[in-house]
Amino acid sequence: MLGKSSPISKFWIGFLIVVILVGLVAFVLQVIKGHEITGMRDNVVWGIYIINFIFFVCLSYSGAFFSGILHFFKTPWKNSVSRIVEIITVLSLIVGPIFILLCIGRLDRLHYLFIYPRIQSPITWDIIAILTDLIGCFIYLYLTFIPDFAMLRDNSEGASNWRQKLYKSLAIGYKDTPTQRETLHKITRTMSAMIIVLAIVAYTVLAWIFSLTLQPGWNSTIFAPYFIVAGLYSGVGVIIIAMYLIRKYYKLDHYIRKIHFIGAGIVLLVISLLFGYFTFSEYFSRWFSHKIQDTNLLNTLFNKYFWEFILANYIGVLVPIVILFFKKFRTIKSITFAAVVAVLGLWLNRYLIVVPTLETPYLPIQDTRPEFIHYSATWVEWALSFAGIAAFVLFFILLMRLVPIIPMSGIIDYEREQKRHHKPLIQNQKK
Amino acid sequence: MMTPFFRYSMCVLMIGLLVSTKGNAQEIDLSKYRMRFSLNTTKQHDNFRILEASFIAANKKDRKDRIPVYDAEIAFFNVLNDEEVLIGSSKTDKEGIAKVTVPDSHSYLTDGNGNINLLARFNGSDALDEEEEELSVKNLFLDLSLTEIDSVRSVVVNAFVLDSLGAKIPVEEMDIVIAVGGMLSKMPIEDGTIEDGEFIFEMPVDIPGDANGDLTVYSIIEDHDEYGDVIQKKTANWGIFTEQSKKDTNTLWSEAAPIWMYVVLTILLVGVWTNYVYTIINLFKIKKEGKQLEMDT
Repeated sequence: MLGKSSPISKFWIGFLIVVILVGLVAFVLQVIKGHEITGMRDNVVWGIYIINFIFFVCLSYSGAFFSGILHFFKTPWKNSVSRIVEIITVLSLIVGPIFILLCIGRLDRLHYLFIYPRIQSPITWDIIAILTDLIGCFIYLYLTFIPDFAMLRDNSEGASNWRQKLYKSLAIGYKDTPTQRETLHKITRTMSAMIIVLAIVAYTVLAWIFSLTLQPGWNSTIFAPYFIVAGLYSGVGVIIIAMYLIRKYYKLDHYIRKIHFIGAGIVLLVISLLFGYFTFSEYFSRWFSHKIQDTNLLNTLFNKYFWEFILANYIGVLVPIVILFFKKFRTIKSITFAAVVAVLGLWLNRYLIVVPTLETPYLPIQDTRPEFIHYSATWVEWALSFAGIAAFVLFFILLMRLVPIIPMSGIIDYEREQKRHHKPLIQNQKK
Repeated sequence: MMTPFFRYSMCVLMIGLLVSTKGNAQEIDLSKYRMRFSLNTTKQHDNFRILEASFIAANKKDRKDRIPVYDAEIAFFNVLNDEEVLIGSSKTDKEGIAKVTVPDSHSYLTDGNGNINLLARFNGSDALDEEEEELSVKNLFLDLSLTEIDSVRSVVVNAFVLDSLGAKIPVEEMDIVIAVGGMLSKMPIEDGTIEDGEFIFEMPVDIPGDANGDLTVYSIIEDHDEYGDVIQKKTANWGIFTEQSKKDTNTLWSEAAPIWMYVVLTILLVGVWTNYVYTIINLFKIKKEGKQLEMDT
């Protein structure tokens, strides 16, 4: 749990609230005037909202995946990063789906999805997967918080009344007895395995929303694994950025060390190699097929979106690989820089998957206006996108004030484990 | 401290983010293209005649590179000696095609041999030169009848032209195609030759018609040097109608999904939610034990 607000943090919180308020104004305008004030039209029916949705949901699934791995395999440096990963997972799963609601032209018909679901539709699968995953993530995150809530309950004499009450109710009477500890470890471990599987299933379903259509650029057999790898790529990137910012601004150098950055950097390197490989395979097979729609799509990517393509698929992959491959470049700052490049590159990669495909359809609308064919996001879309990012960061800061960012219970568990392993040795020595 | 590499990478990234190529318009070098201007005519079943001019820029080196000329004004004339009578004009569409439809009541100027001389003209623009194409056709009449001769369903086509006195002159040695109408296009079922102005074809009895059993038969003269394209059609209750008795159930396109989808989804959801319920039950156990401990102390 982090201490009192400094003037700088107050300024940042104020700034984030302003960004969210601007987003709210944009939202009200969009509700009143409709999608007319966005850049989305007859051809490009999905814009940056869906890209933000994929990006945040990506982040959540990869967070869940890594958190599950850290807990299930009891990774040594779990305590330093697991809470950051868990918070990223849940917050992105709250912020992400809001963007899909912004894409819907007739929000008043949203409930039809639940009243008249078609089991054959990937959209229905996605709704089921996201809701199930959201609930699973909440349960899992809560399980990892319980021992810390218990500690906060027992050590918050000086805290305000509402805090004491909140910690008491959230700790659900956990006293760290052997039975309670064993039960909690058992269900946390089962849920961590469940979360890994859920992340893979839910992310596959998200990829199928695109790849089960016949649209050029989407109809690909490798889309699901490609999405999973891309999701992990952005996930590790955001985790590294969060680690860096938390370490720097909350002076946690002692807990979040260079070794953690190097570990995360090597994971990022492996995933960037995989991501680069998948990206190359995807575009190479499309280029080689010589199908007219694929050729049109590639022409659009290499002409109209030339720089975006270079940034997303060359700089966004090669720069992190070069930085992370050579040992001498592996400093905390350069690893964070590689993560920033990876995250920006991946967002652009998502843009290039969604927009150019919709701009080059199989059946063009006859005699349509040019602005209906070409997409360009309006200020409303940008305002809502930045509001989403601001909400994510603001919730992160507020959550860090409520719960410890480095799980105390995890450190105690770790020390307990160490003692248990060392005890027999000492006894043997005595003998 | 920033390493030189770090700074360099940052520079590349920043420059990349600042540059946008959204506004690159495509210019075409016309010297690489040869203009293709052609004229075609089709006489339809209602005796209306379509005049169609095609205006395409074809790359001199790459046969596949063909760019239609859009929005070019094409004028169509009926020509006799030095006299030009304007029939109509139209602009080329996105396929580079300009069309006018001439009603059957229109009286054409014809030369001594009964030829209708047609002319399509593009007057030129700042970028393109003037183009002109002539075509000469005779007014061919196709008389199509669907009759039963000795209980055999027969397609009888009579082809003739009219002389200056209005007398019918049968045509000789002309290729003809018989086709039936399908949902999207015409399906050819017989190729033959008109001799002594007549062609008779025995109609197969197993061709599907529409819901009422009606079948549309077309007689088509295609790309003839003297007559151009001529199409005639008639409908008769000669088709068979087979009702689709089998209704699709449990498919991707039916109301109910395939059974396996329900099974897989149920197994997945029951598996996951059972685990959630199990977790929540265990949380209640922890809570119960905590309460018990509180009461004991």
